Amino acid sequence: MANSFQTATSTPAQDVTQSCWSCGAMRTAYFCKACGKVQPATPVDYFTFFGLPRKLNVDLAALEKDFYLLSRKLHPDVVAQGSRMEQEWSLQQSSLLNDAYRTLKDPVRRTEYLLRIEGVELEEQSKAASDKARNTGEAKKQIVPPDLLEEVFELNMQLEELRMQKKMGEDDPALLEEIGKEKLKLEEKHEAHLRDLKAYWGNWDTLIEREQHGDAVSPEERRQARDKMVDLLNRRNYVRNLVRDVNEALEQ
Amino acid sequence: MSYSDKVLDHYSNPRNVGSMDKSSADVGTGLVGAPECGDVMKLQIKVNRDTNVIEDAKFKTFGCGSAIASSSLATEWVKGKTVDEALSIKNMDIVKELSLPPVKIHCSVLAEDAIRAAIGDWKKKQQTAQPVTAEAK
Ligand code: FES
Repeated sequence: MANSFQTATSTPAQDVTQSCWSCGAMRTAYFCKACGKVQPATPVDYFTFFGLPRKLNVDLAALEKDFYLLSRKLHPDVVAQGSRMEQEWSLQQSSLLNDAYRTLKDPVRRTEYLLRIEGVELEEQSKAASDKARNTGEAKKQIVPPDLLEEVFELNMQLEELRMQKKMGEDDPALLEEIGKEKLKLEEKHEAHLRDLKAYWGNWDTLIEREQHGDAVSPEERRQARDKMVDLLNRRNYVRNLVRDVNEALEQ
Repeated sequence: MSYSDKVLDHYSNPRNVGSMDKSSADVGTGLVGAPECGDVMKLQIKVNRDTNVIEDAKFKTFGCGSAIASSSLATEWVKGKTVDEALSIKNMDIVKELSLPPVKIHCSVLAEDAIRAAIGDWKKKQQTAQPVTAEAK
């Protein structure tokens, strides 16, 4: 167990204990090592697909290189002369490759994806908090901080007014200016969230590294590192939606 | 997705839209959000201090049709109830009344959260307000 990570650290092709359908040799995730034939896609997560540990700091240059290399090798044209099965698998692998790359290269999608495969369901979280509030009679712990909710609410009121004015053909430069200012603030916040998120990646990655070195990581530690990111992404969702709504209202 | 008639009714003809004075001692305000979709809901109640009966309720929701309908219905339901009775309203009651589909359950949760938050706010005000009035007498 303790040294299983050694095979999974750097090379993209992970060892999978399956034999090649064509020549019977042990195969890697996408190709047979011995005869080089494309293999059916194995249901692995995107990190495993690229032979990466579940860490959030990712070497994007290396990822990109792997991606291009694999896209060439997995391209359906390569097996144009092959069997229908090979063509099918090649297609499967290519689309898995594209999904994996698109998800992992984006910082937010990568984080959301990791949280999902780590078992975090946002909807569930909110429901669990409601159940708890109902059972204990205490106020529900809001996932989003009250001051942000206040801000969201106020801005929505202003946007509503703006839409109404536009409908009536009026315009109110003071309101527009205020909304514009608010929008700048939101955009700054949006960027700050991304910086904070990246800071949290470090926490998480340290846990994974400890595990790789055979150290035990308690579920509680894992949960804490996860929850910080969940919190932040929740807040970020609001800000993102708001920026979108502001832009829509201004363009109308 | 198609909304049920009741949702449409509340949506196109929402009851009790508006706001009350947040700083008033007999008004409780609940402001809640659903991070899944970024929607926000504000629900306010005005409570008679002697009877604990909710005499008036207002809401303002920025969100989907189901959230608007849920909060509109919630204000109708809490009116005339005592604070404790209102606390027994469950999101599933709203789901049933409005025939909300499973993907819209969180919208009804938001309404229940809002009722609870408004009552919580009102209760907090009563705890802090009473000693002051006692001194003033
Ligand atoms: S979709 Fe979010 S409250 Fe309805």
